[in-house]
Amino acid sequence: MSAPTTLPVARGRAVGRYAVAVARRHPRLLVGVLVLHALAAVAALAAPRLLGELVEAVEGGTTAGHVDRVVLLLAGFLLLQTVLTRYARLVGQVLGEEVLAELREDFVDHALALPIGTVEAAGSGDLLTRTSRDVEQLGWSVRWALPEWTTAVITATLTLGAAISVGWWVALPCLLALPPLVVGLRWYLARAKDGYLRESATYSRINATLTETVEGARTVEALGLADERVRRIDDDCRDSFEAERYTLSLRTRFFPSMEISYLLPTVATLLLGGWLYAEGRVGLGEVTAATLYVQMLIDPVDRMVAILDELQMGAASLARLLGVAQVPEDRVAGDARPADERLEADTVRFSYVPDRPVLHDVSLDVGVGERIAMVGPSGAGKSTLGRLLAGIHPPDSGSVTVGGVPLTALPLDDLRGHVALVTQEHHVFVGTLRENLALAVPTGRVATDADVLAALDAVDALEWALALPAGLDTEVGSGGVALTPPQAQQLALARLVLADPHTLVLDEATSLIDPRAARHLERSLAAVLEGRTVVAIAHRLFSAHDADRVAVVEEGRITELGSHDELVAAGGSYAALWDSWHGRD
Amino acid sequence: MRNLPLTDPGTPDHSSPGRFLWWMARGQARTLAGGMAFGIVWMGAQAVMPAVLGRAIDRGVAARDGDQLLLWAAVMLGLGLVQAGSGIMRHRFAVTNWLVAAYRTVQLVGRQAVHLGGTLPRKVSTGEVVAIGTSDLSHLGQVMDVSARFSGAVVSFFLVSVILLSTSVPLGLVVLVGVPLMMLLIGPLLRPLNRRSAHQRQLMGDLANSATDIVSGLRVLRGIGGEQVFLDRYRRQSQTTRQAGVRVARVQSVLDALQVFLPGFFVVLVVWLGARAAAAGSLTAGELVAFYGYAAFLVIPLRTVTEFANKFIRARVSARRVCTVLALRPDHTDPAAPAPSPPPGAELRDARSGLRVRPGRLVAVACDRPDESALLADRLGMAAAELDDEVTLGGVPLTALRRAEVRRRVVVSDTGSALFSGRLGDGLDLSGRGEQAVREALATASAEDVLEALPEGLDTEVAERGRSFSGGQRQRLVLARVLAADPEVLVLVEPTSAIDAHTEARIAARFRRHRVARPDRSTVVVTTSPLLLDAADEVVLLDGGEVCASGTHAELLETCPAYRAVVTREVAEAVG
Repeated sequence: MSAPTTLPVARGRAVGRYAVAVARRHPRLLVGVLVLHALAAVAALAAPRLLGELVEAVEGGTTAGHVDRVVLLLAGFLLLQTVLTRYARLVGQVLGEEVLAELREDFVDHALALPIGTVEAAGSGDLLTRTSRDVEQLGWSVRWALPEWTTAVITATLTLGAAISVGWWVALPCLLALPPLVVGLRWYLARAKDGYLRESATYSRINATLTETVEGARTVEALGLADERVRRIDDDCRDSFEAERYTLSLRTRFFPSMEISYLLPTVATLLLGGWLYAEGRVGLGEVTAATLYVQMLIDPVDRMVAILDELQMGAASLARLLGVAQVPEDRVAGDARPADERLEADTVRFSYVPDRPVLHDVSLDVGVGERIAMVGPSGAGKSTLGRLLAGIHPPDSGSVTVGGVPLTALPLDDLRGHVALVTQEHHVFVGTLRENLALAVPTGRVATDADVLAALDAVDALEWALALPAGLDTEVGSGGVALTPPQAQQLALARLVLADPHTLVLDEATSLIDPRAARHLERSLAAVLEGRTVVAIAHRLFSAHDADRVAVVEEGRITELGSHDELVAAGGSYAALWDSWHGRD
Repeated sequence: MRNLPLTDPGTPDHSSPGRFLWWMARGQARTLAGGMAFGIVWMGAQAVMPAVLGRAIDRGVAARDGDQLLLWAAVMLGLGLVQAGSGIMRHRFAVTNWLVAAYRTVQLVGRQAVHLGGTLPRKVSTGEVVAIGTSDLSHLGQVMDVSARFSGAVVSFFLVSVILLSTSVPLGLVVLVGVPLMMLLIGPLLRPLNRRSAHQRQLMGDLANSATDIVSGLRVLRGIGGEQVFLDRYRRQSQTTRQAGVRVARVQSVLDALQVFLPGFFVVLVVWLGARAAAAGSLTAGELVAFYGYAAFLVIPLRTVTEFANKFIRARVSARRVCTVLALRPDHTDPAAPAPSPPPGAELRDARSGLRVRPGRLVAVACDRPDESALLADRLGMAAAELDDEVTLGGVPLTALRRAEVRRRVVVSDTGSALFSGRLGDGLDLSGRGEQAVREALATASAEDVLEALPEGLDTEVAERGRSFSGGQRQRLVLARVLAADPEVLVLVEPTSAIDAHTEARIAARFRRHRVARPDRSTVVVTTSPLLLDAADEVVLLDGGEVCASGTHAELLETCPAYRAVVTREVAEAVG
């Protein structure tokens, strides 16, 4: 374990290229959205014009008939704007949902192909943040921020155009707003993103602390940790307050300066218009329309400004999601197919971190149908060797082959027909029980209910599985019916029956199980192992006792290899353990 | 701005959700009042803006009066500055109000959780309590936050009403009756929208859960080759979510369009009535512009009122959940007149099972049925749901002692023991005995390699629930933690169940040195591991909740067939 190296983050240009590619994939929807929004904005701009005309007519004396005609026109434009807005929004959201679905599916595709070593080096937290917070942030940006912003930009541009169409002089007061707007925005955006990211991180921490306090309430009481936990919660709140105070101070400077930059053009338009009217160069209607247009600019410009920091965060999330695709794959599938099921490791070296080798020139031949137990102290490299034997990592040098073909040169689907790995992690996926089991069925093959039930039966899990509220269709995993750890472990074993690999690598497969369920599980396991080649990384010697051969792994090397009786007779470190286990000194 | 969080969140009134909200509001009455005051000024300034613009056009522009124009432009500028200033002050107060309520909720619930201790999981699902930290805190915060704008909305609505009625009674009435009517019209459309959005949110939540599954399940997937099936399933789920999003969009876009149409229609109506009145000479041009402005403005306060109503309803639901948790009482309370604590080096006895733990001894309990031995461990540490007087320390029943005193002298660490986030060194040194004690304990638990692998050693920040450690590492750290705490009586339940035999042997050997041969320390280990049993001074076999045999590991193996069956049952084929 070294200092975590995070997963890559895509650069600005790559993000831009991706955005262009996405836009190119949906030309019709995109153009549709822009045109509809533009037309809706144009329709909206009729109101001040017509109102100005009314004011002028009233000022000069008019008839009820003229008023009615103008108002009818006003109503017509409103109706037009309503219909256009409806379709603009609809098409916009349809586009947003499509883009979002593409993005998250691409991301999951790449995340599933990540080399395990890379994920572990980065720490699972990094990937977790990307799958949860970044996907959510991007969803928010695409569903809400981006359409709002686009609408605001179109509306602002057209409103400005309409204002200037009243008379060129209207441009002058609008220019007044530019310098404070640009300066304020640059200042704010340079600070906002980090501030808000830090803020949301403090809430995650409050949440995490509360969660672990609640879930560990028993431990808190047993060890007298109450004061410490309370202090930590208060500390988390204090950190959060510091972060909140910072972003609030940003807004305290930014918001008023924005409001003042909106105010200046309105007042200036009024003054300039009033002067021009007094000079007789423009009509009263034009002054009214101009002032109303400039006032109408405030809302879209304000939205444009307020949403920019959201978009900035959305872009940052997108960059992190795209970054996952940049991790180089650790395997290239070739065309060679194994000649038989013989698993062989030959002078294998491996290290997770350069210059910290975990395995030194390890060789091991696993015969077809053989049962090998691997024992040794924690950190000796047993699990790493197990992973190499299962093709999870490619070796740095040497080779791990099945039937003469390197494991990492086999397509993943194919590989799992030969070797599968089961660890002490018994993860239950969100979904139905059936879906949880079907994960293990190789693509191209369909698992019938009969197959699934037979697999559950083989691991002695049929009874409780059928007793679940909806049987195989019961939702399990996070948010669904909670399975007990032994049930989850049986589920993992039933997956193996369905995956039906020739060779199994068991990495302390039952070790985290509550001892009260262990015996039951061992029966389930025995059923799965029937007729397969097995490499078992054992934490208790009883599993080693009945193996064909025992491999003792110490400090990255296999130091003893032979049958149980041979090793006991040899009097090495295995023999010493065996003695103490039997109460002999 | 006050300093947060509060040092003491206070004692809440949790008798009903309404009372709880009221208690919260009273506790922050001053900042609430500040927010309301600025909210009123802020929205009031917006409300009179159309009137000022109308005057400027009437008296300044139309009358061609330069002085009046300047005067009213200056008033507009001044009003704009007041609006900007009061706006940001309102925002600052609102944020403070949000934070006070949110932090206070977290503090109250956190304090209640540690107060309940082991009672908590027995009385309420932990998910219920955790939800308070994720959603309820923000619902409670929001209702405090929106109060400032709500009062501004109410006041400005009446302000505009007065201005309108004083200008033109019929037009004023149209605006005052029409605007609320319009808001009511949108109501029925909200129901299908809420239904579809709820469905979409549900699907989005499921989808997010599936994606999160990748992180925890990637190794499992890679082990069995389930990536493609997982991806196919995710794609299907993602497309279902997209379709739900499109269904929401169909209703949402109509609502968006109505948000344009209804106020617009209203403005058209007002303009029509106003323009006719103006044509007839009973309204000036400026007043017409002002009426247009009012009709457009009134939508804002009314939307705020609706927002307040929604947030208040949600806050009540959250308050109910918080009240439920706050109303819980721990199963065990201190006796009215606690007995004096027995002197150090006392003997722990359990009359029910017949277990005796003499000071300075390491006693191992083996049992065929882990439930039985776990219950015994809980009873020894007064952590079981039901209390009894049969467990005594130095002859005094544990129930006669203060809860804190029992916790200080008897510590139970079972398989459910949790690691907590924070600096590793602090998490391991619970009783403040210093780094040396921690390092010794780590050595005894054979966890030096865990420490060596961490670049920052004891300064490492432990991830939430210690999930960055493997199961075996976590178990060794948990063991080191109680060893470093060095309690008078230590009860361990299967402390090495996830640890390999080599390491277990090392722990068993070092454990004796650490705990045993100290006259005032006694230890009970509940285990079926031969390596640990062999290290004990005395092993007892528990059957039916009672001690049925005792002796050393070797003696019992020799003489007790039942014991032999329990200890060697593990030969039951893990391999072959």
